Amino acid sequence: MTSTTQSYLWVILQGSLLTVGVSLGALLVSILLGLLGAAAKLSGRPILVGLGTFYTTIIRGIPDLVLMLLVFYGGTIGINTLLEKMGSEATIDIEPFAAGVITIGFIYGAYMTETFRGAILSIPKGQMEAAWAFGMSRPQTFIRITLPQMVRYALPGFTNNWLVLIKATALVSLIGLQEMTYLAKQASSATRSPFMFFLFTGALFLVYTSISLIALKKVNARYSLGTKRVSL
Amino acid sequence: MKKLLLAAAISALCATAFAQGKDLKVAIDPTYEPFTFKTADGKPTGFDVDIATALCEQIKRKCVFVEQAWDGMIPGLLARKYDVIISSMSITQERLKQVDFTDKYYNTPSKIVLKKDIKFDGPASIKGKKLGVLKASTQEKYALGELKTKGVEIVSYDAQDQVYLDIKAGRLDGTVADILEVGGGFLSKPGGENYQFVGPELYIPKYFGTGAGIALRKGQAELKKELSAGIQAIRGNGKYKAINDKYFKFDVFGK
Repeated sequence: MTSTTQSYLWVILQGSLLTVGVSLGALLVSILLGLLGAAAKLSGRPILVGLGTFYTTIIRGIPDLVLMLLVFYGGTIGINTLLEKMGSEATIDIEPFAAGVITIGFIYGAYMTETFRGAILSIPKGQMEAAWAFGMSRPQTFIRITLPQMVRYALPGFTNNWLVLIKATALVSLIGLQEMTYLAKQASSATRSPFMFFLFTGALFLVYTSISLIALKKVNARYSLGTKRVSL
Repeated sequence: MKKLLLAAAISALCATAFAQGKDLKVAIDPTYEPFTFKTADGKPTGFDVDIATALCEQIKRKCVFVEQAWDGMIPGLLARKYDVIISSMSITQERLKQVDFTDKYYNTPSKIVLKKDIKFDGPASIKGKKLGVLKASTQEKYALGELKTKGVEIVSYDAQDQVYLDIKAGRLDGTVADILEVGGGFLSKPGGENYQFVGPELYIPKYFGTGAGIALRKGQAELKKELSAGIQAIRGNGKYKAINDKYFKFDVFGK
């Protein structure tokens, strides 16, 4: 392996930190939106249910790439045209890291909504009713009763969403972020040896997803305390 | 209160920049060696980058390079992420509908490349052969307009490198590409020795446009004039030639 190749690999490895950063940021946003979405869809209030359904239907029905172009470029072009119309000379430049986190978070929030909604529905309603009967408020009921139990039900779907989300970060180069897939493309174009760099990037993704799987397994074990695993 | 919060949130996310600043933000997609690529230590380099730097010097502004994947190139310009694109972008009728271009700063012809054992005597003679081209490129337009109509099978790829990979894998008989790109990236590399250029140099403006120019948003007549004059100036004072000779054996300014 030449030293040039090594330097390019090093650049990609550094770029992978950005991939991890965007993934984790987007995960937080998606969890938040997922909880809000699930709450809205289960609230029984027509306006909230409608909003939640609109969100999940639109987002899950349109390809990530198209959404990213629409949300990021459409948004920026719109704001800047508006500013120009108002006679302002300033232009808005959305910070690409924030844009990547928000866009991916916004997309995966829709998937999380459905995952969380399913998990909440798996908890017998009597438990929440019992909590209310004891005089707990709704937030208290959620934190003490619903959340600890829904984690176990939500984890399989959550794990899926998370793995797909990590890989979706490869799309953020479109909005100007130097994540590792784009860096691999640059390196392979400069050296004309694509396999070396794409294999390396693939391996890095595998490392990150494997670490996630191990961590999530621990979480699963923690939240499955008190339940019995059945083998048929 | 709500409006105040919204304003605070927006200003936290966005850096407000003034269009008339000193820095000239130049977009490049550094995946096109030897025109734009990155060295191992991550510095943008290549013919486009050097020309951009020379032009910035000429118009007394500082070049700040912004890396952008090709698919988002024009949307990013329209969204004002940068002021100009100097990344081997060909001046074409379609692009002119959305953006403005300066005069060309280089114009290299494209050519058809085929396996050596295939006889070429005009497009009709390679009916049924399979050629790979870069998606949304001028070469793709030429191939669809002049070759596909004669029965040549055309397959489009996301990157020119993928075309080479598929030629090596035996799925393609050749490609249509810029002579410099395919000369440096394929013919001179291992695996390219069984392939050769066929037919004439392709300059047809209908497909290939009039060369690579600097793209900018419409309504920036002044900057456009300044940059076009800058290209003339570096052609005249020898800077262009110095950069040209660093990368190429002949003058890429072209016809």
